[in-house]
Amino acid sequence: MNFFNSQLSTLNPQLPKWLPLGLLLAVLLIFPIIIEGTSYAYLSRMAGLVGLYALLALGLNFTLGYVGLFDLGYIAFYAIGAYTAAILSINGYSFLASTFAAIVVSVFVRLLVGVTILRLRGDYLAIVTMGFGEITRIVFNNWDSLTNGPKGLPSVGESIRPVKILGMTLVTNTHYYYLIAASVILTILVSQRLENSRLGRAWVAIREDEVAAELTGLAVARLKLGAFVISAVFAGLAGSIFAHWERFVTPESFVFWESILLISMIVTGGMGSIRGVILGAVLLGGVPQLLQAALVGSRFIDYRYFFFGLVLVLAVLFRPQGLWPSKRRQVEILETEYVN
Amino acid sequence: MFIEQLFNGLVLGSIYSLIALGYTLVYGILMMINFAHSEVLMVGAFVGLAAYTLLAPPAGGWVALVLVLLVAMTASGLLGIVIEKLAYRPLRQAARLAPLISAIGVSIILSNAVFLWVSNQLLSFPKVVPEQSISLGFMKIGSLQILIFFTSLILMAVLHFMVQKTKMGKAMRACADDLTTSGLMGIDVNKVIAFTFLIGGALAGAAGVLNGMYYGSIKYNLGFLPGVKAFTAAVLGGIGNIAGAVLGGFLLGILEVMAAGYLPNGSQWKDVFAFVVLIGVLLIRPSGILGERIAEKI
Amino acid sequence: MYKLKSRLLLGLAMTLVSGCAQKSASVRVAVAVPLTGDIGTEGQGVRRAVELAIEEANQSGRFPYLVEVRAFDDRADPKEAVSVANLIVSDPNIVAVIGHYNSGCSIPASQVYARAGIPMISPASTNPKLTAQQLEEGWLGPRSIFRVVPTDDVQGTYAADFVTDKLKFKNFAVLHDKTPYGQGLAEQFRERFAKRGGQILAFEGIASGDRDFKALLTRLKSLNPQGVFFGGLYPECALLIRQAKEIGLPATFFSGDGSKTNELLKIAGPAAEGAYLSITGIPVEHLPSAKTFLEKYNQKYPGATVKPFDHFGYEATNIALDIISRVGPDRTKFIDELKKIRYQGILGTTEFDAKGDTKNKIITMTKVKNGEFAIVN
Repeated sequence: MNFFNSQLSTLNPQLPKWLPLGLLLAVLLIFPIIIEGTSYAYLSRMAGLVGLYALLALGLNFTLGYVGLFDLGYIAFYAIGAYTAAILSINGYSFLASTFAAIVVSVFVRLLVGVTILRLRGDYLAIVTMGFGEITRIVFNNWDSLTNGPKGLPSVGESIRPVKILGMTLVTNTHYYYLIAASVILTILVSQRLENSRLGRAWVAIREDEVAAELTGLAVARLKLGAFVISAVFAGLAGSIFAHWERFVTPESFVFWESILLISMIVTGGMGSIRGVILGAVLLGGVPQLLQAALVGSRFIDYRYFFFGLVLVLAVLFRPQGLWPSKRRQVEILETEYVN
Repeated sequence: MFIEQLFNGLVLGSIYSLIALGYTLVYGILMMINFAHSEVLMVGAFVGLAAYTLLAPPAGGWVALVLVLLVAMTASGLLGIVIEKLAYRPLRQAARLAPLISAIGVSIILSNAVFLWVSNQLLSFPKVVPEQSISLGFMKIGSLQILIFFTSLILMAVLHFMVQKTKMGKAMRACADDLTTSGLMGIDVNKVIAFTFLIGGALAGAAGVLNGMYYGSIKYNLGFLPGVKAFTAAVLGGIGNIAGAVLGGFLLGILEVMAAGYLPNGSQWKDVFAFVVLIGVLLIRPSGILGERIAEKI
Repeated sequence: MYKLKSRLLLGLAMTLVSGCAQKSASVRVAVAVPLTGDIGTEGQGVRRAVELAIEEANQSGRFPYLVEVRAFDDRADPKEAVSVANLIVSDPNIVAVIGHYNSGCSIPASQVYARAGIPMISPASTNPKLTAQQLEEGWLGPRSIFRVVPTDDVQGTYAADFVTDKLKFKNFAVLHDKTPYGQGLAEQFRERFAKRGGQILAFEGIASGDRDFKALLTRLKSLNPQGVFFGGLYPECALLIRQAKEIGLPATFFSGDGSKTNELLKIAGPAAEGAYLSITGIPVEHLPSAKTFLEKYNQKYPGATVKPFDHFGYEATNIALDIISRVGPDRTKFIDELKKIRYQGILGTTEFDAKGDTKNKIITMTKVKNGEFAIVN
């Protein structure tokens, strides 16, 4: 568990290295229980939502962060996961079954899309993935017989069943917080293992110089496809959790803006850096929500996204390499990579 | 009916082309998606409305139209320069996606600033010049459509002249070819880039005014959708390529109109149709219709 | 276990509320609508209406304490709406919620309100699921979700009857904006009109936010419909009417209260002449209170025009204030009272049925004459 690194503790040499991280984890683990029933209970909802963003951002990090594939349509697979889970849950399937199906369907569609479009490069790939994201949303909005169109699922008389895991029924935000936290931890572990494997190094090599990578004998096309498909697992998982937590899905949750937000999280945090991506999700996913709580009763509540834009610009101007880049990345920042 | 639809597509396409040119000019030199371009368009529309309210009564008609266009284009062009200087220039040496995020931030700031301090209402936009319906026997077309179409064509012709025949245009082309070497050859790169943003912004400003006139209303979020469409058009034509942006814009306009005009339930599926065509074209020509093949790094 | 906890919580909240009331601290009404984002324009309108109602109430001296508005921004995003709902239920001083605007936000958020026992009155969400879900199995909480806006069947049916009986129209092209409101309205119109023997020449969705409908209208021209019915909101409706005129489509346009705004008249201009728009409730001219609302609104907010659902926001707030003034700031009593209320306001008489939908089914048809809405029935 060294993903938070020891930078914090070097500030104070007397403290053991694991202390800041340990404290942080302990706080994250118990705070929802402490605040439950108080007037700060809403914080577990917000933390859960930030966790959901972290889950998605870590998933997108596989393609955008490691391989450098500019993917503007990731939210489509989140939507596919959410709708698959919702439809199955309405028809009586359990949480685990519908989540599994959500992941399988997301991965399968992602595979089909990837095989078709991954030979495109750079911004051409971006626009095609964006197109796919929009196509998915419009199809969900127009395919009334399957998705109930703009009215959303479940329709009148149906409902999404509550999540039952290990004999427990999840109801409150705190329950979902732990479910999401567990998923995020799992994703971090998977990311870490892959990042430090041959596969992870090969991905980064492609990101840094595709031609050189190909010349050293890497199967670039298959490696790209692999990252592309793996990232869909987390989109499907997040989609299923979202559908069960909200107990209602409509196409308006899966707009282009969400894809932009995820990309902003990764770049602001630090591309390819697990801790950075999480920080990006916390910052960009959390700021608007905390502002909402902080500005209640004030005229400035309308200013939330103005502030959000400022945060985004300032963050990237002061830390163009990301707020918390990975070590590997820090080395590269010395080089410029955009003109030739 | 087909000719009517074709004409609808050409008018829509001419607006897309104007906007797409701004994306493609910047992309050609800096290789970045200027995400804030759509908000420059929106600001241009608001400035145009303000200019009309202040200037129109004494001037009126054609004079007013030219004045409104000039004021809006100047304001948008200057806004483009300011954005470049504050938000993109500090990031010119940074990783590729950093300026994109900065651009997203700027676009959020601009639309929210207009929402907060200018107007959060749907404002009606005048037609500026009185409209007539012109009958060609087999079809009727509005003078407004003709006006928009030809204004766009004139602006594109001016741009073409500027890029091909002036010294600054030559410098722009050189920078698009190789920014670093152009700098080494004594071209003031910063000046060229600023000029590019000025031109791109001015075209967006004009598109904003035409957009406002054509649809009769403006709102703080009006830039986003045409912005996305125009960027798609630029990619379709081959981003970085000026002729490609124009071609892509017209093609996208015609595609959308034909989808909405001939497919059953076409209006709700036309974006899907347009994107499917885009994906198809890119699979056959991975750099767009007129785009050059991307040089491989060796 | 869960129920017990929520009861305890509720009890705690109640003591807090009454405790605060005694100390003459403020009682709060929340308004949760999109204050920013693409439909911030409409959400801001509802907020203005709610604030106007609260201001009037405080000035009238009806309350021994100050009634405060708490505005929340859901940005028309369902997950932000649920976060907002969680924030609202954590404030024990909030007695009732006016919101949300989109059905997609109202439905998931309503589950949070119900669990906390807070009444919610939606001024704009027309999806039948919103109130129907309370009667479904697994609903966690009291039946506390209401709406003052009528569901689509009322208006769509009325319009279909109107065109068949009064105007003797034989065929129609029906358009909608692919939102729950617009599509619902259009479907109801289609169903009724077809049942009454009318012919539906086309039934098509447009993309909400789209601004160019010339291709679609040019195609409709070849079908030569007598009328075009549009389910949707004023920005698109105005452009449809305007562009239909430009391409020379002679059909008469019909739409619901989502389109009846002054912006429609301004943007569509002379093209709007002869268009029909139905609205909920008794016409303002016959109801002085509604006229006063418009005057006060325009006086308090110069530069802002009344948006389609502002009336409903105003009415919902006044209903809430009426109940608070009678039973005090108590959520449970509030819900009980809301179920049996018979309120006379700017929409006419509002009563709620067993689901929580308004029983007010009075529709007024207006027609654009000389740049104004004139009542035709």
